[in-house]
Amino acid sequence: MISDVITEKKNQAFLFCNEAIVRGALESDVKVVAFYPGSPISEVLDTFFQISDKFGIKMEIATNEKVALEIVAGASMGGQRSLTAMKSVGLNVASDTFFSLGYTGINKGCVLVFADDPYCHSSQSEEDGRFFGPKAYIPMLEPSNPVEAKAMVKEAFEISEKYKTLVLVRTTTRINHQSTIVPLEPLNRTPFERKSYRAFNMKFSTVGSKARELKLLMLERIKKIEEEFNGSPLNTIESGNSDIGIIVSGISYNYVKEAAFKLNQNPSILKLGTTYPLPKIKIKNFIKDLKKVVVVEELSPYLELNIKALAKDVNPGLEIIGKESGDFSEAWEYNVPIVMKAFRSAFELKLELEYDDILAYANNLKSILPIRIPVFCPGCPHRATFWALQRAIMEKSEKLAVMNDIGCYSMLLLNKDIYSKMHPDDLLLAMGATLGVSSGISLSSDEKVISLIGDSTFFHAGLPGMINISNNNEDVIVLVLDNSVTAMTGQQPNAGTGYGPGGKPKNKIAIEKVLEGMGFQNIIIINPFDTKKAITPLKKALEEKGPTIIISRGPCALWNDRNKRRRGEKIQPFYVDFSICRKCHTCMRDFYCPAISMESEHKEYTDDAGKTWTGFSSHITNELCDGCGVCSIVCPYTNHEARSEKDVIKPYSKQREVRHDL
Amino acid sequence: MTYNIMTCGVGGQGLMLVSNIIGLTCAEFGFKIRTAETHGLAQRSGSTYTHIRVSTDETIYSPLIPYGEADVLLSLEAIEALRNIEFLKRDGIIVLNDYIWYPVQSTFERVKNPEIKYVSINEILSQLKKITDKIYIIKAMDLANEAGNPLTSNVVLLGALAKTNGFPITLEQLKKIIPQVVPEKAIDANLKALTLGYESI
Repeated sequence: MISDVITEKKNQAFLFCNEAIVRGALESDVKVVAFYPGSPISEVLDTFFQISDKFGIKMEIATNEKVALEIVAGASMGGQRSLTAMKSVGLNVASDTFFSLGYTGINKGCVLVFADDPYCHSSQSEEDGRFFGPKAYIPMLEPSNPVEAKAMVKEAFEISEKYKTLVLVRTTTRINHQSTIVPLEPLNRTPFERKSYRAFNMKFSTVGSKARELKLLMLERIKKIEEEFNGSPLNTIESGNSDIGIIVSGISYNYVKEAAFKLNQNPSILKLGTTYPLPKIKIKNFIKDLKKVVVVEELSPYLELNIKALAKDVNPGLEIIGKESGDFSEAWEYNVPIVMKAFRSAFELKLELEYDDILAYANNLKSILPIRIPVFCPGCPHRATFWALQRAIMEKSEKLAVMNDIGCYSMLLLNKDIYSKMHPDDLLLAMGATLGVSSGISLSSDEKVISLIGDSTFFHAGLPGMINISNNNEDVIVLVLDNSVTAMTGQQPNAGTGYGPGGKPKNKIAIEKVLEGMGFQNIIIINPFDTKKAITPLKKALEEKGPTIIISRGPCALWNDRNKRRRGEKIQPFYVDFSICRKCHTCMRDFYCPAISMESEHKEYTDDAGKTWTGFSSHITNELCDGCGVCSIVCPYTNHEARSEKDVIKPYSKQREVRHDL
Repeated sequence: MTYNIMTCGVGGQGLMLVSNIIGLTCAEFGFKIRTAETHGLAQRSGSTYTHIRVSTDETIYSPLIPYGEADVLLSLEAIEALRNIEFLKRDGIIVLNDYIWYPVQSTFERVKNPEIKYVSINEILSQLKKITDKIYIIKAMDLANEAGNPLTSNVVLLGALAKTNGFPITLEQLKKIIPQVVPEKAIDANLKALTLGYESI
């Protein structure tokens, strides 16, 4: 709860890890923060969004992670403590600047929290971001729970300031999305004061001879940090009673502790909190007398390969149980059962684990279970846009290639059976990648290319690709799905929304003006909620040569609902008049709103012409309907322009409070 | 002892509120707690779950409940109870909302062939019963309406959970925390929902 993040009265509170990270930054007197949202770390942004004003913190929602990192680096150079947080693939975007910052260093404490996503809960790859630390010579801390996450953010500020270097704090989804009781320390905030950049007399340039000089200084700096880390309390040894040791970091520590307890084993455990630079002396001392070491880490064998190299010096006969031995996988997340299974062979235990049987039995029970995949919300503009697009491409389906991108519209891919005519699984790579790839496909193939991009992605990584399309006059249709917010990650405002942290107005960037400036001639704006009228311009675009931009502009339903609630407006749901419903199922077919389902009882209706319609009616669940009314446009037996009692789908007479749980 | 509570539902049902109330109650009354939550995809209508582990004494490490170790499974929606059944121990307790939120993907199948039926509560129940007989079916929507706010069915189910055997937190403790968590105008309805849920078992 926000009130617990900012409390000065409690000495502990139940916090979500991303809130604990914010609390750690507050206790460190952070002055400037900047973010681009991304799961699993969006709530760091969301929490600061609500409290930055109260604490005089300068906050920006940046256009992308690279800009966010540059903002906080600049703020640090300008004399303020600063922090950014981003998801793993966000650090890829920021990496160009990131590597240079390794050379130049920074001034005041500057912390970058990044969250990897093993199992790809909400990412396109499960890359192991720990390699960023050694590659950039930037120190990295790794907490295993929210308590440590808060403490390590504070420690990161201290290390950053002491060595004038950016510091990484690396989390994973299971750490970010954990809640627990976290000890709180006083906030001790100081007022914001501007500093003089000149007075610091620091330089941050790196190129050529300057870079070569800085490289040596950087190596010297990281050596000193390694010496400090050898004695750091963030790396702990729990002594056990066997000659088998465990080396672990991050979330896996929790699984190791519970697995060892369950198996009644008491191995020595080296828990690494500083995973770059590694405390080599500490590791060497830990492994030198062991017979066996089990290395437990999700994703790549980062610790394992380092430990193998260190063992060569101090204990060449050491047996290393890890990924290369085949005991652990480089894929997906771990859990207690996975670690127990590996321990069973490492500790040579002869006992049966029941987990596989439990899973197999459960999977058998689940054979009747229907799938439930996230879909566009009731009232979502994307569903309406894609309904129109499906109509427009009707006979041309096989002559099209559709390039998807990152955003709510990505969900087309998850529901590829429903949207099969659109080939929604043709491609999905990375933020903004749709544009460049579309250019490449249009250069190479016969198909007409439709490129999908959202408003936030457009600002984030779409501009270079867009300019390239315009500059080269590519034969590509770009469909900009503009729902006015960064919806997928929790409806944060972006450059096109018009407000920022604390609700303060911001300069609203109009996408069509940007595109005009880039030289696009053919820009059409459609209203997805007037979905039938949207078909013609889409059809026309398919027939034209050269670049065409269609901007489909309608607000995100969740965001719109929240705004309505703020204004005290209610929702007017729609209902199906089943007494006259023709059971044609048009409102469901190709539209698939979660609020519409099929009745379970056969019904009959005889129309004025004497024709009898039998079957299962459609049904709109009152509590789910968002009142967008698009299904009543889609319904062939409803005249949405001159509504009457003869309509099958009509507005419900009662209004309803906007849901409180959004 | 660690008491493991697996909770699940469909995005938009207010599952997070349930774990928040439990968590804040733990912080207030000296329990240890660790949860693993589903965040990320902001969309409604997807499967959601929260692992909640509560203890009075021992340290809780893994935020995830190992398979077959949940003492209780609380489900805001019937299909989702079966989806998470591997977490419940044999003869564990199930608190089940008497409600199915039909997945769009099932409607898609029915449009192709209308004679296919949606999965029914009875079909779900017969599978759940292969793991346990201790199943409490709660008409949470009706009780929420009775409480004066149809959105409080999550709290109705929390009230029922509080009545189950072994649940470490008392009704009174929950009552003390709810006013801190829900919007002011919804406090009365939520407290009533909690009590109605409690009394339904």
